[in-house]
Amino acid sequence: MNRLFHLFLNERRKTMRQKFLFITVGLLTIGLLLAGAVPTINAQPNFPKVKEYRIERSIPPEAVACIECHKASNPGLFDDWARSRHANANITCLDCHLAQPGDTDLAKGHEKYYSRKDLPYGEQKYKVPIAAIVTPKDCSRCHPDEVTQYSRSKHANTIEIMWKLDPWLNNGMNSDNERKTGCFNCHGTVIAIDKNGVVDPATWPNVGVGRLNVDGSKGSCTACHTRHRFSVAEARMPEACDQCHLGPDHPQIEIYEESKHGTMYHAYKNEYNFDAAAGTWTPGTDYRAPTCAACHMSGSGKVMGTHDVTERLSWETQAPLTVRPQDFKPFPSGTDWKVEREKMKNICRACHGDSWISDFYDGFDKAVEDYNEVYFKPAKAKLDELYEKQLLDKTKFFDERLEVEFYELWHHEGRRARMGVMMMAPDYAWWHGFYECKLRFATYMEEANHLIETGEKAYVAKDFPNATGDTKKPQKIFGNK
Amino acid sequence: MKKYLIGAILVGVGILVSFPLFSMTYYTMVRTSTPDFCAMCHEIKPAVVAWQSSTHVNNPQGFVADCMDCHLPAPHKTFDFFFAKTYHGAKDVVKHFLIKEYDRDKNREAAYASFDNAQCQKCHRNLLAMPGKRGAMLAHRSVIYARPGYEKKCVDCHYDLVHNESPSVIYKQYRRVPYQAKGLRKL
Repeated sequence: MNRLFHLFLNERRKTMRQKFLFITVGLLTIGLLLAGAVPTINAQPNFPKVKEYRIERSIPPEAVACIECHKASNPGLFDDWARSRHANANITCLDCHLAQPGDTDLAKGHEKYYSRKDLPYGEQKYKVPIAAIVTPKDCSRCHPDEVTQYSRSKHANTIEIMWKLDPWLNNGMNSDNERKTGCFNCHGTVIAIDKNGVVDPATWPNVGVGRLNVDGSKGSCTACHTRHRFSVAEARMPEACDQCHLGPDHPQIEIYEESKHGTMYHAYKNEYNFDAAAGTWTPGTDYRAPTCAACHMSGSGKVMGTHDVTERLSWETQAPLTVRPQDFKPFPSGTDWKVEREKMKNICRACHGDSWISDFYDGFDKAVEDYNEVYFKPAKAKLDELYEKQLLDKTKFFDERLEVEFYELWHHEGRRARMGVMMMAPDYAWWHGFYECKLRFATYMEEANHLIETGEKAYVAKDFPNATGDTKKPQKIFGNK
Repeated sequence: MKKYLIGAILVGVGILVSFPLFSMTYYTMVRTSTPDFCAMCHEIKPAVVAWQSSTHVNNPQGFVADCMDCHLPAPHKTFDFFFAKTYHGAKDVVKHFLIKEYDRDKNREAAYASFDNAQCQKCHRNLLAMPGKRGAMLAHRSVIYARPGYEKKCVDCHYDLVHNESPSVIYKQYRRVPYQAKGLRKL
């Protein structure tokens, strides 16, 4: 009897336990569903941990509002800044993003957040005019010398150069979106404000290195010092440059990777002291083999650091006909190539003896001369002859095969050959470079001579696709021409 | 005895002649150094009106920087000061009659070109210790200890400060938006 009673009790306990379990699971499920349904800005579903930032140093209350709100709404952006040298120095959002009276590139949509009660500090009293676009001019308030150097460079002036050289733009051979997502992503847009005072979404967001800003300044410092870390270390790494300097037409990063410099960088980069203070980054001490920035920008020995990447160059290897930088018509550098070469040689001298340096420049100069005299000039003369004899049609570029062949001869393999030699990558100097130049040159000449001999006109592509882009040069750079 | 008498007479005559001369010159200098005097020329009046509503007049310190404080060499450069003042005074009168239209933009550029950092630094002397403005500290270092070839003027970054046509008086202490340099003017 007693045993039966115990059995009964046990059974009862089991069912009660099951009921309890059922109710608990049910409540939890409902709770979870409810929690998911209520949108809260503080939930940070994609960012489980937010970096702490206690306001311990004096900053204006408006800046506190920026930090607290963006910490909740864009934790990644906030975290970037919180780890930056700017945060170290108590430079807050407002120091760069505060619009001054008269500024036209205001973030109009931003004002509404000051009346959003669900946001931390979403109160009118914190309202200040904000410019989303931070320009080199803004940066020059604290970093005037760096910006002055940068403003002289081909980097900052690349939109002007592009429009003076490029047949895609000038002949309208690609579409506006092909440009927005392709060309202008690296080269930069001409920022435009529409009649409602809103920044034109076709021109912004953009961090192209030559962006033309509303305040007239050129470029974007965040092309290399990405937002919102603005790290000097990052810009010293080849990875900062390879976002643009790659691909068939200027494979600088592939060239670097193949060179001894790149090989050594990858083998030893863990030992590199990328965070050295400006003016103290020292070859042999802070780094072993150089990165792009080490040779083209950073100081070394008596050579002063510069943000003008056009300095230290003695040939324009990107140009159709290789010329000295001061003779590069679209954008003369204003430098003297002999002085600049001596600067670059001094950079080399940190690690190399004079025999290495002069042997390298000897090979480079010969490659340039070969390219100019043996490949480019005869090809260009042939192109001119074809135009003169009206076997090629001059109205548009790229719609005849020989035009494409000529373009690729200088713009693709011609550059690869010159740049491959310049930065010591044998595979790019030969297989991707002069070897391809030879093949291209031979087929190009064969076709060209065939047309000349037969008097037959080249086929003009009637169905050239998506050639819809605007052919008007940006008025802000070129005026009303 | 006679020698001393002649000496005393000469000194006396010297005082009699030079005292009124110097005091009149000084009086003229004082009279012609006020913003009110500058505003007597219709070409200059808008600049004076704009100045009156700027922070160079309206600030918590009650300090007022007059036209001269910025637009003429520092008075301790005595010769430069007198020469520049006399030259500009004479030139302005002549130009008033010779020139049809006063080119404000051109003259603004000329003014920027004429500003010497020493003029600003007569008043703005403590430029390196600004714990609340670390960026300004950095920028000011690059001016005061400029790298050769990178010398800058105060007005390269601080411009459109005073002669702006503002609908209302701007008080430095009631600025809604904190003042920031605008960055290099010629970018």
